Amino acid sequence: MDEKTIKKSILSSSNDEKIIYKSRIKKFQKNHKFYIILLVFIAILQFISIAFFTRGFLLSRHVLDNISSQNETSKLPPRFNKAVILVIDALRFDFAIPVNESHSNYNLNYHNNILSLYDSFASDKDASSLLLKFIADPPTTTLQRLKGLTTGSLPTFIDAGSNFDGTVIEEDNFLKQLHLANKTVKFAGDDTWMALFHPFLSNDSFPLESLNVWDLDTVDNGVMDYFHDHLQQDKEWDVMIGHMLGIDHVGHKYGPDHFTMREKQIQVDQFIDWILKSIDDDTLLVILGDHGMDHTGNHGGDSIDELESTLFLYSKKPDMWRLKETSNYNIDNLGHDYRSVRQIDLVSSLALLMGQPIPFNNLGWPIDEIARNDREWSQFVNSAISQLQLYKDTMQIHHGNDEILEPLAKNISNTPPTSDPEKFVKLGHKYQKVFLQTCEELWAKFDYYSIATGITLLATSLVLLISITKLIPSIVVNQMVPEFVPGIIIMVLVTNLCFHGIFYVYQQPSFVDQFWGTLLATAIGIIIGCYITIFDRYNFIWIAMRLGETLADYWSRIAVMFMIIHALLFTSNSFTIWEDRIVAFLLSTFGMLTLYEFVFLPKRQSTTALLTATISEKEGTTSGVNPSTANSNYLPLTRFARLLGGYHSAVLIIFTRLASMITICREEQGEYCIPTFNNQNNSSWWVLGLCFLMIFILPACITGYYNLTSSYQAAAPIWINVFLKGILGLNFVYWSLTSLENNSAVIAIPFLRDVTIFKFTLARIIAGFSLIASNVGWLMGPLCIKLNIHNTDVKSHEATILGYTNIYGSEFFLLVINVLMSILLFNKPLAQLSYFLMCNQLLSILEIIDLLKLKENIIGPIALGLLSYQHFFTTGHQATIPSVQWDIGFMLSEKITFPFTQIAIILNTFGPHILVSLSVALLTLWSQPPDVLKPQTLLGRIVSNCGILLTYNTILCLSSFIWVTHFRRHLMVWKIFCPRFIFASLSLIVTQLVVAFGTIAFASGRLIKHINDIFWK
Amino acid sequence: MPAKKRTRKTVKKTVSFSDDTTLTTHQNREKKNVDHDRPPVYVRKTPLMTFPYHLVALLYYYVFVSSNFNTVKLLSFLIPTQVAYLVLQFNKCTVYGNKIIKINYSLTIICLGVTFLLSFPTMLLTILFGAPLMDLLWETWLLSLHFAFLAYPAVYSVFNCDFKVGLWKKYFIFIVVGGWISCVVIPLDWDRDWQNWPIPIVVGGYLGALVGYTIGAYI
Repeated sequence: MDEKTIKKSILSSSNDEKIIYKSRIKKFQKNHKFYIILLVFIAILQFISIAFFTRGFLLSRHVLDNISSQNETSKLPPRFNKAVILVIDALRFDFAIPVNESHSNYNLNYHNNILSLYDSFASDKDASSLLLKFIADPPTTTLQRLKGLTTGSLPTFIDAGSNFDGTVIEEDNFLKQLHLANKTVKFAGDDTWMALFHPFLSNDSFPLESLNVWDLDTVDNGVMDYFHDHLQQDKEWDVMIGHMLGIDHVGHKYGPDHFTMREKQIQVDQFIDWILKSIDDDTLLVILGDHGMDHTGNHGGDSIDELESTLFLYSKKPDMWRLKETSNYNIDNLGHDYRSVRQIDLVSSLALLMGQPIPFNNLGWPIDEIARNDREWSQFVNSAISQLQLYKDTMQIHHGNDEILEPLAKNISNTPPTSDPEKFVKLGHKYQKVFLQTCEELWAKFDYYSIATGITLLATSLVLLISITKLIPSIVVNQMVPEFVPGIIIMVLVTNLCFHGIFYVYQQPSFVDQFWGTLLATAIGIIIGCYITIFDRYNFIWIAMRLGETLADYWSRIAVMFMIIHALLFTSNSFTIWEDRIVAFLLSTFGMLTLYEFVFLPKRQSTTALLTATISEKEGTTSGVNPSTANSNYLPLTRFARLLGGYHSAVLIIFTRLASMITICREEQGEYCIPTFNNQNNSSWWVLGLCFLMIFILPACITGYYNLTSSYQAAAPIWINVFLKGILGLNFVYWSLTSLENNSAVIAIPFLRDVTIFKFTLARIIAGFSLIASNVGWLMGPLCIKLNIHNTDVKSHEATILGYTNIYGSEFFLLVINVLMSILLFNKPLAQLSYFLMCNQLLSILEIIDLLKLKENIIGPIALGLLSYQHFFTTGHQATIPSVQWDIGFMLSEKITFPFTQIAIILNTFGPHILVSLSVALLTLWSQPPDVLKPQTLLGRIVSNCGILLTYNTILCLSSFIWVTHFRRHLMVWKIFCPRFIFASLSLIVTQLVVAFGTIAFASGRLIKHINDIFWK
Repeated sequence: MPAKKRTRKTVKKTVSFSDDTTLTTHQNREKKNVDHDRPPVYVRKTPLMTFPYHLVALLYYYVFVSSNFNTVKLLSFLIPTQVAYLVLQFNKCTVYGNKIIKINYSLTIICLGVTFLLSFPTMLLTILFGAPLMDLLWETWLLSLHFAFLAYPAVYSVFNCDFKVGLWKKYFIFIVVGGWISCVVIPLDWDRDWQNWPIPIVVGGYLGALVGYTIGAYI
């Protein structure tokens, strides 16, 4: 039997139609290229805006791991061999000095309770104690302060080169130096120290839980007991550190004005008094606060109350400090004019007193009073200066201030430290001040011009995206695309020329250099290029009115509501913390709304169809399909369709609820969240059992969806039943081995000596197959249709094509399966279950959207967007840096190897986003018969839906930009808002890349051309 | 635009971006169905009469008077007042055909049972929306009972109309929307007593019902 002849006779088309088709497909291919270029330009615009914002907001400091070594020639003898360092969290300066009771700000509860420090300082005739005001650098959070106090540097959010998650400080610090000098450091108190410095602390240390703000006493009592036990009796320490949290916790819990503050302060006072008596002569006592507190008792910002704390140095030996004139130590007016030193000055002072090298990254200046005479002072200054200069030279710091710094450096080297110490010290101090200012400018300030540029560019790109993909009818965009591309290219060249010309003639603004100037010019060029083309045809009012019309129907409004609610989550830290639940709630709401629609079938004018304003190609179908089928979109839902729709809605709702039970809780969610995504569950027998069942159920579920349109033909069984099932099986083997390892079971498998190598091999096979081989297979064009010939009689020409109505969707989904296979490999077992649920939710959403005829409504992409965010959270992620699953990066290779580690982590973290960015094309293609829409129209609609998904991500990104800037001084900015902004930017970038290159350039173009070729040639 | 077209019998040729040729037929069909679908059952537009005064009092009691937001006690007040509201106010404003039907006392009793049973699907719904699955079930059930009994007059009316009139849907919807919106306060970190499950949702449901019974007649 000759299938070709039958095919020919079924798809008989005249020569004219063939010619029309050929011209159409040519036009399609040309337009397709232009579409890709246009989208890439918009993507570039968004990347530039993200780059500008990030540059302005996250000023990064490159951290070198260099360690200062003792220079034999300049080595100074240690003045003290032992030290006791007591950190009293949130010891504001006015807590530690006497305050006149008649002063207007006097408060019984927090003033005049800790006086032992000042008493010791004031009554002391032999200069053995020194009390100073201690100025912290913002952000005044304990973690950042500890870094500052021990490294002498200004920590920024991302210290490039060091660890992200607040674990061990890699850069040179005071404790590391002590450790290298074989000194024993014992510690008691806040366990943040343990996280930061545990390699350098003695095993005998006594860390205590610090996050429980409600507990006022445990940490303090622990520290006090430890000191009581070890300070005198124990001889095996050189430095003893204590960190008390009581005052800080009272502040957080009640605020300073509370009687417990008084109790706490009196307790601290007695403890200090005891320490003053108990230390021996050879010990240096340092008592300090890491930051202050504001009137509410909180800290983290940069108000003066938060910055001012206390530093107290004491030794039993006389004449240790060379005090300045008494007018410097004026305690009137809450110590307003009291002499202050900066927190970063402590580490160099301590290093010099203890005879240690000054840590490499230090920026501080030794405290004046620590030198007993001019000779010693010039020696101190000499070490400090040489450390600073070494640091500057190694770091290659260049800045406008070099004009001042270089002559100073020359001057210093010409001044011998011994002969003219006064001049030498003066020059040195000036050098340090200028250098510190330089570094501060480089690291510790927000660059508002860059931030504003970033926000403006992103907002403009948002308007552009909406106008091009949604507001202008896609049929017109089809005609405009060939004008966009040359316009943009020309305008980019022109603006670049103009900008550089202007920069050359006048001076360029200080926030851009050559490179950033080019980026800015390119961004503006793209914007102008697009708008010239748009305003050539439309005006602003028309676009605004179109926006109103687009949002006129019920479902669009629901979609916009979801989008706005999601974007407004970043206005509060609580909402951002609970984003996982809120997103799941919104997705359930969508499911409920569709369920309501199917159950009650409320009368809604299908306004979408009216307003999408695409010239219908449904009437007068080219291949003579029955007009009633073609127009079936306008018939009311049949009873069966309603039943089916209700079923899909129920699946969506139930699976959303089930998926939301998988969570890795944020630290801030506290007791209200019980983490289920933990190692124990991930390697438990029941999760693996479910994964085993998934090998069979997932293909069965997908088959079920395919069978709805009888598309389970030809390529589909191969893909779903062979490829997917096989990969799932291998995947299961891999992860069960991993879980056996985690349960430290003895793996005694014959023929398998080394499990690690076997696992690597397995992972590489799966990755290679799913990432490369299966996609190459997809390029061949796997069709999911079958000719069903009822009659063997060739003449009767009775034949039906099974899977005809979903020919686009069924083939496209095979690609989604490819990506799903590769993503599943890089996810832990519970996350794989989450993906199983996601797959069902995705297909149900597609069916619902198809049944409700919302293919061109904005609700489709928004629902998919919500789905991607929900599953980001249910696959064991949170918008925090510690929740990135770094261990996944080592699945394909033992060490960090360029593409493998990164691919694994990207697929693990952004898996849901990648899946959704691909599947968004399915909104158009699912249940789309081949001969209804022109290829160009199809492409236009896919681009439109992709555009809405991008718009959604852009709005989230823009909102996070705006709110993170607004909350830049918020206590939680580095913990909550900033990671969320990074996540928003990254998900926008990933979505952009996948949409432009994956969905539109690779998949849609290939698919549309392929299917049209079959049905027309 | 649709309003204009409604009066037009013949399809005039227009140039538009619309691809919906069935617009006119669709409109006609809707017009035809109006009489058939909606028997003249409606709620009279008498705001003073339908206004649920007892809900305001109950809310006031719950929020300001009762200690620790006693949700059980509130329920024990809600049930009798809802029955009274139905008998004395709501039923008297409901017009069937062209007359007001006297209250059917046996049906009110049956509906109490039905409403009680209705709390179980409501509970399922609440859990699907994200209420805790395993713990706090008692609180969730209390919440569902509140929701169910807030809808009690509407349940009675549905039964009274032999399930044929879709008019009462909106009363249910208002309660659900009230609860839906009130979820907004749960995540906030204010550490107040009233943020505990299910207090905000109960209050939201009451507010929704309050709005629903007040303006329901006008929608």
